[in-house]
Amino acid sequence: MKSKKYSETLLNLFKKKGFKVKEFENIIESKIIIERSGEIFKKSLLSFEDDNGKNFSLRPDLTISACLDYIKNIKKGIYKYTYFDQAYRRTFGKESLVRNQLGCEIIGLAKPQLNVEIVNLFDQSLKKITRNKTTIKVNDIKIFYSLVDSLKLPSRWRLRLKRHFWRLDYFKELISRLASNSDLQKSVFELDKKSYFKMKKLNQEERIAGRKISEILNRFEKKLKEPRSKIDGKRVSKIVGEFLKINCSFKNAKKELKKFEVRNNLNLKIDNFDIFNLNFNDNNVLFSTNIGRNVEYYTGFVFEITKKKKNLNLASGGRYDNLMQTLGAKKNIPAIGGAINYDNLLKL
Amino acid sequence: MNKLIKIGLPSKGRLKEESLKVLKKNKLFIKDSKRNYLSEIRNFIPNEVVFSHAREIIERLADNSLDVGISGYDLLRESLPGIQKNIQIFLRLDFGYANLVVAVPDTWIDVQTIADLEEISFEFKDKNKGKLRVATKYPNLTNDFLLSKGLTQYKIVNSLGSTEIYPFTNQSEIITDITSTGATLKANKLRDLKDGEVLKSSACILVSKKSLLSKKKQLRLFLGKIKKT
Repeated sequence: MKSKKYSETLLNLFKKKGFKVKEFENIIESKIIIERSGEIFKKSLLSFEDDNGKNFSLRPDLTISACLDYIKNIKKGIYKYTYFDQAYRRTFGKESLVRNQLGCEIIGLAKPQLNVEIVNLFDQSLKKITRNKTTIKVNDIKIFYSLVDSLKLPSRWRLRLKRHFWRLDYFKELISRLASNSDLQKSVFELDKKSYFKMKKLNQEERIAGRKISEILNRFEKKLKEPRSKIDGKRVSKIVGEFLKINCSFKNAKKELKKFEVRNNLNLKIDNFDIFNLNFNDNNVLFSTNIGRNVEYYTGFVFEITKKKKNLNLASGGRYDNLMQTLGAKKNIPAIGGAINYDNLLKL
Repeated sequence: MNKLIKIGLPSKGRLKEESLKVLKKNKLFIKDSKRNYLSEIRNFIPNEVVFSHAREIIERLADNSLDVGISGYDLLRESLPGIQKNIQIFLRLDFGYANLVVAVPDTWIDVQTIADLEEISFEFKDKNKGKLRVATKYPNLTNDFLLSKGLTQYKIVNSLGSTEIYPFTNQSEIITDITSTGATLKANKLRDLKDGEVLKSSACILVSKKSLLSKKKQLRLFLGKIKKT
């Protein structure tokens, strides 16, 4: 009963703000997800094949379903989705295969003030159904990217850190690797150098297992030119660790980041970030560089609302401006959304 | 003690030969039988020996239609978690050694580690608008390994044999495969990566966990003999 009451109240609140309640298709073609995310997501899909060998899956995530609906049915303009439905994922522990997801998505609009509106919408809606005090935390993933760009690192390591920012455990491993071992194995490298000179004489357009000889040789040369020193690696891992600990009031965030910049002799280009021009109703909004790292498709502004003191996640979301194109839209379409952590809400 | 103990042995190749040797060493002699796939051990408690494909032995141990068997550690680890949880490893044997490794074409001289491969996979996606394809007979182990090493942008191509030629016949770009000496990889112009060892395998004596309860005495007798090896 509590569950039904909450969902009805929340959906009505969202509807009043101009969101349209939508039901999505239960089944999606697995290829769409696999082409986007690779095998990492395939593992969690509950999928099956039809008689023609085409692979389908039960919808694993309703943000993705909303995007697919937009691409198929809405196509252009602004659309505000809200939904309360089930998503299905293979689980490897005691978690249920079925996840209740209640969320909102605004597709087709990029204005920065929308970031504030969506945070307020979730926070105010939660306040209507629970008397618990909440804490809002915000961040912009791009600040981390800016940090990485300002570090003394080979370009391949820059890309690596950005790509794996959202995979918390693997990211830790990367950072510790950065501080320790080398990228090159000397004995193998000497052998490869011999092959390098032989390959230089071959037709550079020829492909070996899908890669042109010229591509292979260029990358080999780049690796030679961009060795990574142990000292730089240690310094970088220390700076990244320090950055990810920044947790302060939103009002002081810019100041804190500037201090961090000066301390480490970096240039994060802080003034270029829209997030610091946002005006939140709540003066107690916090800024944390470490939030929004659990979803791969977030591209900028992210938020998290937790129950005060207990740190129980009640809602989270963020901007995902590249997702639409990777799911099949002809161009990038800006989008932002969030979801209520329904199971935690019921625990209150 | 009247309960029949069902023993699964590999039906062909070196695994079969070595398994029979292990039994023979322990004075467990298989009766000559006209039926190729069914026999029994002479002068032993009631038993039935079933010769099956090594993969099948694992599945039959899991569903308890076999009580004990010899198969590869790689095949056990490749099976689904629901199957693995029903099987216990009793002993790792001294044969059937092989490693499952990630291998790339020898001429990919810029690739030494999985981290290199991860970078290539993104380049591949951007340039070819597709995923790096990994051919393997071991999709589950390969997935677990590659994902744990940071590779996400790839696609598994299931292979049933001759995996080594896949990169040169446009069926995949790289492979994971079993190798014992590395000679087959080398002959096929492939090389393994310095951090690309997925799994070290050997033959094992495996026991159905259900049988450990229902045929405790019979299994104790059989395993007791083997343990003396």
